[in-house]
Amino acid sequence: MTEEKKTRKRLQANTALREIIAEFYADGHRAKAEGRPVGWIPPMNGLIELFYAMDVHPIFPENWAPLCAAMGTNAANFSFAERRGYSPDLCGYFRNNIGYALDGISEENQPLGGLPEPDFLISFGAGCVPTMKTFQVLCDRFDVPVLRADLPQVAMEDIREHHIEYGVTQMKRLIAFLEGLTGKKLDMDRLSQAVAYTDEACRIWDEIMETRRNVPAPFSAAEIGIMFVMVTRHGTRVAVDFLNDVLSEVRGKVERGEGVIPNERIRLFWDNIPLWYNMKLFNYFEKWDAVVVAETYTSAWTMRMDPEKPLESIAYKTLVSYPLVSCVSLNKRIELIRNAVRDYRIDGAVLHSNMSCKPISMGQMDIQRVLRDELDVPSVMFDGDHMDGGKFSMAQFQTRIDAFMEMLLARS
Amino acid sequence: MDFRGLLDEQTDIIDAEKRRTGAPVLGTLCSYVPVELLHSFGIVPVRIWGQADDMHHADGLLQSYICPPVRNLLAMGLEGRYDFLDGILHCYTCDATCGLYNVWVRNIEPRFSHMISLPYVDTDESRRYATAEFEVLIGKLESLTGDAFSTDSLAESISLYNAQRELMREVYELKAAGCPIEYADIYSMNVCSQVLPVGLVAAELREYLERTRKMTPGPDGRRILLSGSVVTDLPLLEFIESTGAAIVADDTCLGHRLLESRIPDGPPLESLVEYYLSRPPCASRADFPSRRRILEETLESHGIDAVIFVHQKFCDPHLSDHPFLKEALEARGVPSLQVELEGEGFTGQVRTRIEGFFEMLET
Repeated sequence: MTEEKKTRKRLQANTALREIIAEFYADGHRAKAEGRPVGWIPPMNGLIELFYAMDVHPIFPENWAPLCAAMGTNAANFSFAERRGYSPDLCGYFRNNIGYALDGISEENQPLGGLPEPDFLISFGAGCVPTMKTFQVLCDRFDVPVLRADLPQVAMEDIREHHIEYGVTQMKRLIAFLEGLTGKKLDMDRLSQAVAYTDEACRIWDEIMETRRNVPAPFSAAEIGIMFVMVTRHGTRVAVDFLNDVLSEVRGKVERGEGVIPNERIRLFWDNIPLWYNMKLFNYFEKWDAVVVAETYTSAWTMRMDPEKPLESIAYKTLVSYPLVSCVSLNKRIELIRNAVRDYRIDGAVLHSNMSCKPISMGQMDIQRVLRDELDVPSVMFDGDHMDGGKFSMAQFQTRIDAFMEMLLARS
Repeated sequence: MDFRGLLDEQTDIIDAEKRRTGAPVLGTLCSYVPVELLHSFGIVPVRIWGQADDMHHADGLLQSYICPPVRNLLAMGLEGRYDFLDGILHCYTCDATCGLYNVWVRNIEPRFSHMISLPYVDTDESRRYATAEFEVLIGKLESLTGDAFSTDSLAESISLYNAQRELMREVYELKAAGCPIEYADIYSMNVCSQVLPVGLVAAELREYLERTRKMTPGPDGRRILLSGSVVTDLPLLEFIESTGAAIVADDTCLGHRLLESRIPDGPPLESLVEYYLSRPPCASRADFPSRRRILEETLESHGIDAVIFVHQKFCDPHLSDHPFLKEALEARGVPSLQVELEGEGFTGQVRTRIEGFFEMLET
């Protein structure tokens, strides 16, 4: 990683975050060494609480991909995938993860010692196609037990009882699978506790995000890495303790009137996944005294869980994690942006048109129309890719953003 | 009249049907929409299919890295070519079509819209869930038409679709047995079955089969399996066969996959669920082992000499499956070619690649 690509992060919590990230992967390697099962699973699902309640270590390839992008091993993984015949037009998470699993895994110097190999795989028909296909490749690559299951892909506003009921049946299948694998019965009290931790984490998460409604905002999208605990450590105290510390820190900043930059003038909204290999983009706006104060992606955990109904809660969480940020619920996503514009006093929106993610990128022109016609908020869209730096041009980004920011400043 | 002639008259036929029955016409975006259910309400299901005047009419709403078919379909909608529809229905399959559904609903504003989500695995629980999903659709169709759902009516619709699919299956069988049927005819037959009223297509099929059964099977050239998603380029299909090859099997969004099994006898709704869940999966259905197995079985049963993959640029499901399928073919010594279409139809470049492939097979 070159110096110029380093993000300027300002929260002290980043020190603890680095430890949490290292510890998550170290724990995976420890589990492997100690004979505790390691399962590779699709991202952002409610399965994680079940895993922790059963002492099974989860590995999320989709969380691994941004690490590879940040550490610079993504390009090698893409090459491995391409040599195997996978089109460079496919999602960067997919290409990175299968490239790593098929060939990169035997290479030296992988970030954080690489991933511990799976003892089993959960292959879900749910979420986006590239995720499903990632697990298709993994199932072929690793000769381990596989649970094939699925969940409805349904807009949030259309979720009905039968969707939740079906989700619960799938959770029960997963429990039976894990019980068979570990030889241990699931302790429902532990699952309730894990769900309670997740509920608490979601509550604190919302509070943390809401501090950004203040002018000046106490932190920007450059700190988005804190969501690592929402992806990997739900269902544990680790997430709750860390988020409590973040909340204290950002509230302190609000009380002291301490913003990201000394003279915040422009407040921006960011749509779509960040460019994980170039997080410094979020600092780029600062030269115009502008701060990214809200994003679509960080809204994926605005939900509550009921520890009294743990199975229904994790089924619901799993059901909404995909539509909440994608075009499955385009209307819901637009509603979210409408609210953000009001609550976070947004002056302008930056939309990352992301070649690696069609489900999030489709509908962005509709979003722009709503911003312009209903909300009178100027927006700019730039072409990029959340994993592949070869599909992003900094010069084009600068040209577009510079003109946009000058226009916003003139408006303000 | 032949299938191609019927397609030319699609708009008039649908108009006349609408006037005759007064029933709504609903557009569908995917073959997983249970058309039998719609038909049982008297609704005419019409697969949204065809060629826009200019695909770039969708540029204001879809990025250039969305697959050409999806951009093309939205362009058709924006051009007003589907203004006769009373609504739109979708079943989640690929992400791009889900996005298309959402963008269509927001911008073309049909008075009725609904998306269902079918399960990916076939278990007792998933069948119960799929039944519930169909029941939600039934409730919406009852509101739309003002009619109550009738199992008798569904049973009748199922039997009509079963009969039509059986006739279509026979066309495929005759082709595979060496009858000189052009695959372009089969393609047109498949499109007809998706975009025209079921009874009308069955009548045409009966006539077609009467003529075709009399043909003398002859030796065909190389036996080709066509694999891909939405293959709409008739000139491309014609060109493949103009080389002397015969497309005797397909694995595409519109082809034999939909005909392979019949809707079983029994309680109509449950039977319908069984058909949709046990059908050979498309590339978006997360059941790759079945896809590979079916490919291998087809190679055997149809004596396939070579496979031509016709893929659409940016198509995640098919581009992800391709290396696997290619590997399975290589393991059996079956040569294959992949052409990737970029929305410009049958270009000179695609033609050269196909020519080169057949030349390579000769050597």
